[in-house]
Amino acid sequence: MKSKILSLLVLSGMILSAHAQKIYATRTGQVFFNASGGMEKIAAVNNQVESKMLDKTGQIVFSLLVKGFHFDNQLMEDHFNENYMESSKYPKAEFKGYLKNLNAIDISKDGRYNIQVSGQMMIHGVTQKLESEGILIVANGKIEIKGSFKINIKDFGINGLYIGDKIAKTATVDLDCKYE
Amino acid sequence: MVKRIILFGVFPALIIALGVWYYVFVYSKNHHRDVMNEKAIQVTSVQIVKGFQASENTANSQYLNKALEITGQVAEVKKDQAGNTTVTLKSDDPFVFVLCTLKKQTAVNSGQTVKIKGICTGFLSDVVINDAYVVEE
Repeated sequence: MKSKILSLLVLSGMILSAHAQKIYATRTGQVFFNASGGMEKIAAVNNQVESKMLDKTGQIVFSLLVKGFHFDNQLMEDHFNENYMESSKYPKAEFKGYLKNLNAIDISKDGRYNIQVSGQMMIHGVTQKLESEGILIVANGKIEIKGSFKINIKDFGINGLYIGDKIAKTATVDLDCKYE
Repeated sequence: MVKRIILFGVFPALIIALGVWYYVFVYSKNHHRDVMNEKAIQVTSVQIVKGFQASENTANSQYLNKALEITGQVAEVKKDQAGNTTVTLKSDDPFVFVLCTLKKQTAVNSGQTVKIKGICTGFLSDVVINDAYVVEE
């Protein structure tokens, strides 16, 4: 009987500690990129965004492959890869950071929570600090994070002919990740 | 003289401008890269994962942006957030897969060995393949 109670205690302890820290992950999140400067729409979507989040520490990582961005126009996609992002030389973009207001979020309860994210963004081989806001949605135990931020293209050492003209100086990046 | 300028100067310039406009704004919008008829590099999912794990730079120069035909065993079939079908192929490493996003929906079952043709976009936790087709044997 004693051993039964003991094993039950150990088991519940294991369950609790497993519950205490959980990794939420996805490999098919979405990032939308928009840098329309003039009449022509310059927008793309990437459907293979990888993200991991630790609920206990609020650490969060997003990474994607630049060649995974799809434009409506193939020529635009080629120019984006070759002349601007140099995606053969710099295939990845990555954000590493943490949720600053973890206390305001209760992952065990359904709801919409405003989040503040702070960290380092690496694009085109250049790393810059990034602070942004977003929302975290909990529904039926599943988590979704949505965010939107602007990046100054030249901050990341991206130089191309049409920046500031046909291409906007600041690009808008929208993110939508549904975790498992 | 004026007739000649119009005939040999303005008229060809107009044709060229029209051609450029058509190529940039119409043709490129409707013609995306399609690997269906491209010659592909043959590789197994086990080999390609090993390649990227050994040296990402070497593997990138070998596979990045190339058309590949990858043979492997299906670990799972899912839908991504945009509704595309994704097929993950097993490697020797239980934590690393080849993630293929299909161009059109195709019936594939987990456990089945398939050949998938697509474009390699690089390596995150998995090797990522885009615009893919399941090759009929």
